[in-house]
Amino acid sequence: MKLGPTFNKSLWVFHVNTGSCNGCDIEIIAALTPRYDVERFGIKLVGSPRHADVLLVTGPVTKQMAPVLKRIYDQTPDPKMVVVVGACGITGGVFHESYNLAGPVDNIIPVDVYVPGCAARPEAIIYGMAKAWIKLEQLEKKLMEEGGEE
Amino acid sequence: MFTLETGSGLWNPLAWLIAAIVLFIIAYWIRTFGEKGYKKGTDQEKIFFAGNEAPAVEAQHVRAANLYWGFKEGIGRWFEMLRDMHTGLATDYVLWFILTLAVILIIISLGKGVVQ
Repeated sequence: MKLGPTFNKSLWVFHVNTGSCNGCDIEIIAALTPRYDVERFGIKLVGSPRHADVLLVTGPVTKQMAPVLKRIYDQTPDPKMVVVVGACGITGGVFHESYNLAGPVDNIIPVDVYVPGCAARPEAIIYGMAKAWIKLEQLEKKLMEEGGEE
Repeated sequence: MFTLETGSGLWNPLAWLIAAIVLFIIAYWIRTFGEKGYKKGTDQEKIFFAGNEAPAVEAQHVRAANLYWGFKEGIGRWFEMLRDMHTGLATDYVLWFILTLAVILIIISLGKGVVQ
């Protein structure tokens, strides 16, 4: 039984740290605290990519984390969005010349939304999530029109 | 029919069977709400193991020996000593038996001497 789009649940997010300095991770947590409180929109962090609609990736992707990130992406059900938070995930940031990088993130998996900043502010992360939400709804609509089960 | 009166209650296998069938139907109905759109034969079917390759199902089981982990950690040195004593050789066990018997006899004889 498939409920209609009216009954779609809110955006559930799985956060992956691929070698971040934790600056962006702290800002993600800040977006969940009472000051910004994204949970009021139903956006929440989940403990498994299998429950997630969005992968929130921080960090420049170290060589050891590259296969892990790929596997997590593969385990996330479709349709899904990938949001990269922070300069490191977008370009490698201050680590861009490091011997140990396989990233940035779009070298490993396709990315839908980029949130720049070092570290990105919670307002920017929320804005990025809103963009991802719109893109996800458009993708779901397109898939429904095509008659896809996804 | 098939009802067993025990004096403090009753037991009817048909009632249990009907209850089990009803529960199964409810469980199956809830299961139909699950996402069907996942891609079969891909990683989407596999267990999430913090992004690592999940070990074989056999390797994930909690073994009976794991239940004694706390004891092994808490009394580790004592446990090691006991394990060293349990060599599995019958002659060693006989030796322990003779030694223990000797100690008990000594204690008894000394105790007797004290009483007298």
